[in-house]
Amino acid sequence: MNAAPLARRPLACLKAGLRQTRQHRLFARQLATEATTTPTETTEAAATTPRAPLQHDFFKLNDRKTKTLRTAFAVYPTTTAAGTQSAAPPPVNALLSLHEAQIKKMDPTGARTALVARNREAAQPGDVLMVTHRRGGEPFAGVCLSIRRRGIDTGVLLRNHLTKVPVEMWFKVYNRNVAGLEVIKRRAKRARRARLTYMRQAKHDMGSVEDLVFEWKRTRKVYSTGKPAAAGKGKDKGKKAVAAGGKKK
Amino acid sequence: MIQLKTILNCIDNSGAALVECAIVVGQKRHASIGDRIVVVVQEQRGAHAEGMASSSGPKVKRGDIRHAIVVRTRQPVQRRDGSVIRFADNACVLINKAGDPIGSRISGVVGQELRKKKWSKILSMAPMQA
Repeated sequence: MNAAPLARRPLACLKAGLRQTRQHRLFARQLATEATTTPTETTEAAATTPRAPLQHDFFKLNDRKTKTLRTAFAVYPTTTAAGTQSAAPPPVNALLSLHEAQIKKMDPTGARTALVARNREAAQPGDVLMVTHRRGGEPFAGVCLSIRRRGIDTGVLLRNHLTKVPVEMWFKVYNRNVAGLEVIKRRAKRARRARLTYMRQAKHDMGSVEDLVFEWKRTRKVYSTGKPAAAGKGKDKGKKAVAAGGKKK
Repeated sequence: MIQLKTILNCIDNSGAALVECAIVVGQKRHASIGDRIVVVVQEQRGAHAEGMASSSGPKVKRGDIRHAIVVRTRQPVQRRDGSVIRFADNACVLINKAGDPIGSRISGVVGQELRKKKWSKILSMAPMQA
């Protein structure tokens, strides 16, 4: 409101001043309608997709000097005011739900999850597994000593002898660098321990699994040409290989 | 965790079989794969042993003080992607002060951490890396 001209020439300026106020009121009403409509839209959006993050709006203030709008602070819609349109309740176990979300993201097909599940079809301690890296390099095969199930941090411990040196490696199952994880050989009889640490002893050591890998590759006909070679190439593709490893036998 | 008094296998054909760590070069904590250490040769590789000693005789002798690079550790080493590697022994490769390997061949697997630490000569000599 420009008060200075009103004070100087009251009558001449009155109508113009009133017009200004009228326009200003209209403007404010528009703002008011905008301010009232936006939260309802967001609540509707929240009702349709409850897991979406809450949309926020800004209070709009009219600056007297510059005649421009400036924003003040964020306003979040009240979701539980009506009682009906409430946001999704917080999960009971936040960490568990976080792991679920991450696993869903890293393993959309569910093949990796199936490979470390607690059932007969999944890999078990005592099985010989092979891990293929996405970054190239030689695949690492070894007998699985234990499976550490910790949600997204689930990993397998493989043991092998490389150039007669025993080597143990942990691999994260949900790691994207782990392109393929395949069961090469099932243990003849189910291991009666969850962690086969006794296989580190010389008496129980399995030695190198190179011959098992070679035999498995021969059965897969990786080295032949033509159609089976495509299957062998698909081994490096990752999720496919994981799926094949999970379903095999 | 290679530190003072640790006995390591020497897996090149320089003529040393067992070496003892005397100091970890350039850091105040224990050495891991790819770290440089100073070693004392404790045991020579016999002429009959595995044919590893070169025909011109061993290049290093018992009691020699040499530099070496750790290539395998019993202590698990974690990598950037979360995978962990653990070897069954501690092993090293002797080098001279310029950083070139004394031996000409390496028997046995070495860790891939050498690549990150820029020991490409050792990596290219190794028969396998894990």
